[in-house]
Amino acid sequence: MSKNLSELSFRKGIEENLFESMGIAARKEGSPGKDDLNHLAQEFLIGKSSVYGAASFYDFLKEGNKGKEVYVCNGTACVCAGKQNQVQNALQHHFQAEQIGHMTCLGRCHENAAFHYQGKNYSGSAFERLDTIIDQNDPGHDTYNVGQLGPALLTAPFSGLENIYTVLKSALQNGREWALGEIKTSQIRGRGGAGFPMGFKLESCQQAKSEVKFIVCNADEGDPGAYSDRYLLEQQAHLVLSGMLVAGFITGAEWGILYIRAEYPEAVIQVQKAINEVREAGYLGRQILGSNFSFDLKVIQAQGAYICGEETALINSIEGQRPEVRTRPPFPTQAGLFNKPTVVNNVETLAAIPAILRLGGAYYASLGTEKSKGTKLVSLDSFFRKPGIYEVEMGTPLTRVFEELGGGFRQAIKAIQIGGPLGGVVPVSKIKDLTLDYESFSQQGFLLGHASAVCIPQEFPMIDFLEHLMDFAQYESCGKCFPCRLGTKRGHEMLKAAKEGQATIARELFDDLLNTLQQGSLCAHGGGIPLPVRNALQYFQEELKPYFHS
Amino acid sequence: MSQTQPGLLATINGKAYSFQPGETILQFVRRIEGETLIPTLCDAPNLEPFGSCRVCSVEVGLSADGPRKTMASCHTPVTAGYHIHTSTAAIQKLRKNIIELVLTDHPLECLTCEVNGNCELQNVAAKVGIREVRYPAGEDHLNRKKDLSHPYMRSDFSKCINCFRCVRACDEVQGQFVLSMAGRGFDSHIVKGQNVSFNDSDCVSCGACAQACPTAAISDVFQSKSIQGETRTRTICNYCGVGCNLEIATSNGEILSIQAPFDAEVNQGHTCLKGRYAFQFYKHPDRLTDPLIKRNGVFEKASWAEAYDYIATRFQGYIRDFGPDSVAGISSARCTNEENYLMQKFFRAVVGTNNIDGCARVCHSPTALGMQRTFGTGAATNSIEDLKHTNCILVIGANPTSGHPVTGAKLKQFAMKSGNVSIVIDPRKTELARYATYHLPVRPGTNVAVLNMMMYYIITEGLVDQQFVEDRTNGYEELKRQIEEVDITEMEAVCGVDRGLVREAAMAYAKAPNAMSFHGLGVTEHSQGTFTVVQIADLAMLTGNIGRKGVGVNPLRGQNNVQGLADMGVQPHQGAGYMDVTNEDVNRKYSQFYGVEVPKHIGYKIPEMFDAALDGKLKAMWIMGEDVVQTDPNTNKVKKALNNLDLFVVQELFMTETARLADVILPGASFLEKSGTFTNGERRIQRVNKVVEPIANSKPDGQIVIDMMNRMGYAQPDYTPEGMLTEIAQIVPFFAGVTWENLGINGKQWPVKADGSDTKILHDRSFTYGKGNFLFHSFKESNELV
Repeated sequence: MSKNLSELSFRKGIEENLFESMGIAARKEGSPGKDDLNHLAQEFLIGKSSVYGAASFYDFLKEGNKGKEVYVCNGTACVCAGKQNQVQNALQHHFQAEQIGHMTCLGRCHENAAFHYQGKNYSGSAFERLDTIIDQNDPGHDTYNVGQLGPALLTAPFSGLENIYTVLKSALQNGREWALGEIKTSQIRGRGGAGFPMGFKLESCQQAKSEVKFIVCNADEGDPGAYSDRYLLEQQAHLVLSGMLVAGFITGAEWGILYIRAEYPEAVIQVQKAINEVREAGYLGRQILGSNFSFDLKVIQAQGAYICGEETALINSIEGQRPEVRTRPPFPTQAGLFNKPTVVNNVETLAAIPAILRLGGAYYASLGTEKSKGTKLVSLDSFFRKPGIYEVEMGTPLTRVFEELGGGFRQAIKAIQIGGPLGGVVPVSKIKDLTLDYESFSQQGFLLGHASAVCIPQEFPMIDFLEHLMDFAQYESCGKCFPCRLGTKRGHEMLKAAKEGQATIARELFDDLLNTLQQGSLCAHGGGIPLPVRNALQYFQEELKPYFHS
Repeated sequence: MSQTQPGLLATINGKAYSFQPGETILQFVRRIEGETLIPTLCDAPNLEPFGSCRVCSVEVGLSADGPRKTMASCHTPVTAGYHIHTSTAAIQKLRKNIIELVLTDHPLECLTCEVNGNCELQNVAAKVGIREVRYPAGEDHLNRKKDLSHPYMRSDFSKCINCFRCVRACDEVQGQFVLSMAGRGFDSHIVKGQNVSFNDSDCVSCGACAQACPTAAISDVFQSKSIQGETRTRTICNYCGVGCNLEIATSNGEILSIQAPFDAEVNQGHTCLKGRYAFQFYKHPDRLTDPLIKRNGVFEKASWAEAYDYIATRFQGYIRDFGPDSVAGISSARCTNEENYLMQKFFRAVVGTNNIDGCARVCHSPTALGMQRTFGTGAATNSIEDLKHTNCILVIGANPTSGHPVTGAKLKQFAMKSGNVSIVIDPRKTELARYATYHLPVRPGTNVAVLNMMMYYIITEGLVDQQFVEDRTNGYEELKRQIEEVDITEMEAVCGVDRGLVREAAMAYAKAPNAMSFHGLGVTEHSQGTFTVVQIADLAMLTGNIGRKGVGVNPLRGQNNVQGLADMGVQPHQGAGYMDVTNEDVNRKYSQFYGVEVPKHIGYKIPEMFDAALDGKLKAMWIMGEDVVQTDPNTNKVKKALNNLDLFVVQELFMTETARLADVILPGASFLEKSGTFTNGERRIQRVNKVVEPIANSKPDGQIVIDMMNRMGYAQPDYTPEGMLTEIAQIVPFFAGVTWENLGINGKQWPVKADGSDTKILHDRSFTYGKGNFLFHSFKESNELV
């Protein structure tokens, strides 16, 4: 990151945003033109290389995106479901091969066969009616199951704006310390994967001295297999927005930014609609409800880079810098967006705030286990009989989640990757040993992460799965730190050669590589990818044996 | 400098040491165990920690035997109770594995590489013990094309290890943003601009990237990172008043390349394209190699003895026939203090005239005079490093990113930070003005108007530092009375800047806890130049911005030694150390010191010399290192005047326009060929060390002057910087404690007391003559054509 670029980007405020301008410039041709970039460089007093370097990072801004008309999902769930070749073939009847690109996980894991066309996502059998889609502007809506095991804090049906924003009123009435106190009492941990206590973050940002602070909602749900944030953004946006307002009130931030991934176009629309509703209801702007609290919200649409889910990369992205991971300290709560104190929280974490304030921190803390409080959303993919988004009280046995909510598996599967690409590969035999909470997963050598479940069918070769995983890791590496930039690439090359039968992998070298990634990487991307690989090596030793030599 | 606090203890490999607050693990370990215990690749002395290479990883535990975590030492601050293990087997293996990965995408052709023997990757690879690369051949970037487009810069990104040091140097040091990483992951690569060549980019050729690059991915045409040059000599750049330290590599008596030393207080490893790349002039075939005497309109080679005799005989004749004032000299801001001292001494003590002047008195004499009138001393009050301690900069009539690139880059870095206030008063939208908080685009020649407006707002809005004014100044009430009478409407119309903007800028300057001003020739080279400097000084005193770090009035001196030229007495009214030549006591002092009676009346200033030459009163001139035909106004008049002289002597490196008119030319030596001292714009006297021998039959300029002194009967020992400084220290009060030895590598800022202690900040407790003086000047239209 560059302090100077942060400062210069800040000069234009959040309303006139550099990153957003690059996105707008890319609309015409799929990539911003040279003149557009030069113009932005001049306007923001930064280098031509700065804008070029940033734009070239993103799938939907880089030059290679020019001319792409349609994108096939290559997320893990779609890959495991095995239908993407059919989708690709169907699309090739309507598009040139070079017009077809890829998007990694459109969040349609519940019915797969997903693709993206002209700002809309399609899945399931949609690829069989491409003619209609192309001619008639098909809305592309999807449906999935929503259910609970435990209280419905995040998944209760929308009860009206007034009801939701009472929490803001009580916060304004009872003061920021009260609101912060309830959140601390609730012991809620960040739902994005790292599990950092939210109360600490809010408190640290509150205590940071600065006239300008930010609340950032990390809605860059890039983990293939996870679509629970998409659910919240599309169906429960007011939970998220009211959570952001309360977080702003607690910390003294006056801006809330929702960084929503480009692969979720519907989420952008729904959140923008919700923001308009909040504004109309008088909960946004200067001196809200006659208090001295002022707050506004802005949506920034991402441009295709998984690493932006990492909070410091996300901050760089909003600033229009290359979304490379920053070193810590300083932590974002001290110097985050534009070097100002910033709370970055995941969608689901922020969405929990209304329930915490409404029902009390103590109630929330009474749910779950010692170190995992409250409820967690789980995303189940199409291999379950009843795929969908389920709200589960922490500590619930995984078997109950899969059986009672998911209805069991549609077909034989051998393992489930839980918690995204950096989450563990859980063999079916281990399901019974797990309960849905941070402790249980970590004790068993897995990771709860964002609690998405992607099934690996019995006939799907584990070497293919590993090759896919490492391909994703190398493709999405930001390239800043040496171990991840080089290690994921070499790892992928070796797995690919093994998969294709061209060579076997030296086990000692491979172990060295995994250690290097795990110990040496700057962030959890390179540091986390060894976990599922090691799980696979451990639980599918026999299957993988032919691909390795000592 | 250790600032350890009791209780702040951490262990390194089992032994406890105290650490400094804010120190990173890497800094801590380096301070205790030396530079090499922890290898690094992306770390650089002048850049922020970045954390990309991870080679500096160490293990850290919270107890001696407890679990340990691997952390990158470069960006992890030490915390009390940390148990740091720098070199465990696991850490050594990690480092080796990382480097092995690097080598899967790096050419292994070290033997033919520019940086062979000076490559950080090579060193680290050797240190971690790489013997093989076990990975099967994969995709690589070894076929990237070299960029040979630029006159100085070179890149070969097949050798790039993606450490970002060049990108960071271009951003954090120069602030140019020419370089960036592009693409992502394994495909990430350095680009210039929008992926253009060096030559087509906005590169300013400062070379910071080349110096920052740990391999040969970015370098320069001089291959400045090669170890071919077996000798390295540290000296001072002779281009501008910043005074960058240079480290010059030579081999076999030839200069190969230049880098900037990181331990230089002035430039911290940075310099500009001139300092780094513009050195080859010293051996250019056009250099003057021998003394020349013009006979029948044609220059003929002469021996030194012939030339000296030719000049000495004639000088003596004019002195005898027309008096000493029939001879005049111009000395050089390019030459050393010692040479300037000798030149003025020659005219005063040997010829017996005060007809000695130099360009410093022309370009920045309003600075000297204006600051003398208000503060008592005509030199920068503070240092450039004070930018670290200031909250506000006021830059008037200067374009430092062009004129003083290294200081300019620092000012730009300051201006880019949103918490800082920067005010630029300049008719042009300079590069700095683009980044400034307030740009006041005055109509040329109206500085006095706009500064009076600023003072008006500061005084009428009650932002005067009353305590400072009361304790340390005279004349405030009178200034206040006059300022309150300033007609704002009229001045607004005069300077063309909206009064609201002027007011905001004035408020920002006055309210800043620390505010520093910088000015250049856009202030001084007007008929109201001196008045403007007085106003800048007034502003500083009104707001109490004098006498501590991060404040003051700081003229940006032009050439490398304009400060020194004036300090040494190259001016017709003041001798060495700024003492008034008309003063009886001073005259006695100089006469005693030089051992001859020196004149008491003020000599000719440069324009007066030309007038006197045209009148026939001036018979002979000796100009050392100044091309007056090119630089002084009214070229035709200057030429006519010089042609009207009976004898015109020019001491030069090249056949300049001025030299062409000479009767005798003396071939001097460049700064690379002699030793002495330069004094930069922050009063810092720094050692210039001879790098190579003077070419051909040329001589160091100081020796030439000494030869002439001896030839004309004044005994002066041969030129050595040590000897000269000993002499100067005895007559220039603020050089009292200066010796060649004690200047060290970073010099000293005058005044230097007899005990050798120097002065970073002037006027910290009192002004030169006790109190500072407020003076008011009202605006008058400039005489200059604009």
